[in-house]
Amino acid sequence: MDFSLPTEPMNHKRKNPDPSPDSDESTTQLSSPFPDEVLERVLSLLNSRKDRNSVSLVCKDWYDAERWSRTHVFIGNCYSVSPEILTRRFPNIRSVTLKGKPRFSDFDLVPPKWGAYVHSWLLVFATKYHFLEELRLKRMTVSDENLKLLALSFPNFKALSLLSCDGFSTDGLASITTHCKNLTELDIQENDIDDKSGKWLSCFPENFMSLEVLNFANLNSDVNFEALERLVSRCKSLKVLKVNENMTLEQLHRLLVLAPHLRELGTGSLLQELTPRQHSELKSAFNNCKNLNMLSGFYEVTSIFLPVLYPACTSLTFLNLSYAALRSDELSNLLVHCPLLQRLWVLDSVEDEGLEAVGSNCPLLEELRVFPASDPFEDEILHGVTEAGFLAVSYGCKKLHYVLYFCRQMTNAAVATIVQNCPDFTHFRLCIMNPRQPDYQTNEPMDEAFGAVVKTCTKLRRLAVSGLLTDLTFEYIGKYANNLETLSVAFAGSSDRGMECVLKGCPKLRKLEIRDCPFGNAALLSSFRKYESMRSLWMSGCKVTMDGCRLLAQEMPRLNVEVIRECGNDGFQADKLYVYRSVAGPRKDAPSFVLTL
Amino acid sequence: MGITSEQHSSASSIDSSSDPSAAAATSSSSFCAPIQSNNSARFDLSTDLRLGLSISSSYYNDLFTTPTTTTREQPLSWPPIRSILRSAHLEKALDHKHASLFIKIYMEGIPIGRKLNLFAQDGYDSLITTIAHMFPTTILCPGADRVHSDKYHVLTYEDKEGDWMMVGDVPWEMFLNNVKRLKITRADRC
Repeated sequence: MDFSLPTEPMNHKRKNPDPSPDSDESTTQLSSPFPDEVLERVLSLLNSRKDRNSVSLVCKDWYDAERWSRTHVFIGNCYSVSPEILTRRFPNIRSVTLKGKPRFSDFDLVPPKWGAYVHSWLLVFATKYHFLEELRLKRMTVSDENLKLLALSFPNFKALSLLSCDGFSTDGLASITTHCKNLTELDIQENDIDDKSGKWLSCFPENFMSLEVLNFANLNSDVNFEALERLVSRCKSLKVLKVNENMTLEQLHRLLVLAPHLRELGTGSLLQELTPRQHSELKSAFNNCKNLNMLSGFYEVTSIFLPVLYPACTSLTFLNLSYAALRSDELSNLLVHCPLLQRLWVLDSVEDEGLEAVGSNCPLLEELRVFPASDPFEDEILHGVTEAGFLAVSYGCKKLHYVLYFCRQMTNAAVATIVQNCPDFTHFRLCIMNPRQPDYQTNEPMDEAFGAVVKTCTKLRRLAVSGLLTDLTFEYIGKYANNLETLSVAFAGSSDRGMECVLKGCPKLRKLEIRDCPFGNAALLSSFRKYESMRSLWMSGCKVTMDGCRLLAQEMPRLNVEVIRECGNDGFQADKLYVYRSVAGPRKDAPSFVLTL
Repeated sequence: MGITSEQHSSASSIDSSSDPSAAAATSSSSFCAPIQSNNSARFDLSTDLRLGLSISSSYYNDLFTTPTTTTREQPLSWPPIRSILRSAHLEKALDHKHASLFIKIYMEGIPIGRKLNLFAQDGYDSLITTIAHMFPTTILCPGADRVHSDKYHVLTYEDKEGDWMMVGDVPWEMFLNNVKRLKITRADRC
């Protein structure tokens, strides 16, 4: 289909603007009684991905109207489609979200230089999406040249978000800050980058004023504070500011005075001694922040500092303390001032007592994440959290529906009670840190715990299991978890049957990631058609062999079946398997250690 | 950075007649001499855990009163937490003990790794000695003739840039600054 791109894409005229009787689908009665532009206009109000996908399936007219009116596209696996196919179908995209590597790459299970290069996407976007405004990348490899291309190719570019990406340096960021005159958002989170200097911040032109979101919390180089101060004072619409740990309290104070309208603040390091005057000044600055609903940062915080925050906590809905090793009393005193809290991320240094305080003070809590403060295999000083903490939260926080919980012990009875208290879980991610650990009271497997979760929580979409688990856990999951979309499994199961049960059940399963389980070829091949209804399957440290993978590849030509070959591998076992559906065919950029079967 | 064989012969038993690389030990190039671990016959993880790691006895008792089917070994990349959350500054904040630099060390073919405190080593000599107590291996020095056998290994490390390098080429302090983890790989694969 030929089309040309005028200067104003939304007014673009299509090939057949008038609905003539000939263009009606003869097989259906769903011919549009109104011009296509009207349908497009109506559909442009649709934002949900799911709705848009449903719309596109109604009939050809609706498919066309939907594709012309879509402005945002989400690609969960960058290898499932090619940039050419994408741009051919959706000509008017302004915002792209792209995800690359499998999630287990976060835990170093994917070797470097695996792929997920944004390069080929940017090259196509530079010609086809001249009006691109937003790019959000997760687990992609991005180079400084890519960032330069991005900065120079899109005059309307507004928002860049890089989460868990790698391959670039702060030089690349400098290209963005230098050239993107309309930038509203620069969000650089948890990336593995070459942090050379903080000069990128000073590259914002002196007349640049449009920034609304700035997050450089995970960059370690010092930025020029005066430049930052001037930037903050110029950008009156700044809503989100997350600074790195090098910012002192004095500097934080000056920033707060300039931007009391902030909605989200990430502090720097909070270790300094405060004079009484500094203390009251800072407290007063926080008191003026009436719109603050998220706080994060808290690198190396001391008890003395925390009360300074209390005035700002009254409207807080999200508190991220995952870098602050707080004690239970420190957390408790803080939470008294946070009655509206909906999301809380903490370290397990707060222990069960700290979580009791959560249960007592945060009735509106919907999400809790408890991370391990230290390596549990090494540290004998910190005790972490147990089932008691989780129970306490479940009694006090009836709206809880998202939990990520790293703990050292758990019981079946506790989990059963927890889900009775909070039956609305959508995300239940439990990590008992010692692999294959049973219920510490009864010494039994943790099967009944997860059985209770899937039977009670009918809205469950994401589940991560741990502890000593037999195939029974997976029988339960397959039978009851009808809304489950993502399942993460490690060191669990007794035989192929476990994985078979999951594949035969779980009608909505999209992502299955498995490591170190006794699942082999029989399991892999038991429901191979299922993989076409899923985004991806990851299996590492299991019992599948190269022959099994080859068989799968043969049966399902529309799947990409990839094996990552490690050093020392004998060529018989398929140690790391990644299977995903794709309309783009096999990868053309795979490194030598990735074998496409 | 030469290591003479005298320093090692007291620490471990080198059978010079059966060990062809013993001759290379006296050369002055690079660092490591072949070391025959005493545990080569049997790889007893629980014994090594007790000997190799500095854990307080109370913690150790807790370990073994917990009824588990496996001993408490740490698998690779576990628990599943982003490295950014376990970053150096957090460990600094929690470090009540003296400074330590624990890095992971794996031997090819053995999925369960160990952890090693590099700050507790004086240099490459003591590093090799410590490793000899942890793994059943013979580590060749890079200058030695390539032995095409799976009996011999070389010590490699992953540096900050993600590249795998031979241990021993740079000064010890520089190595400490750059090392992310260690791997004992088969000599005939490198």
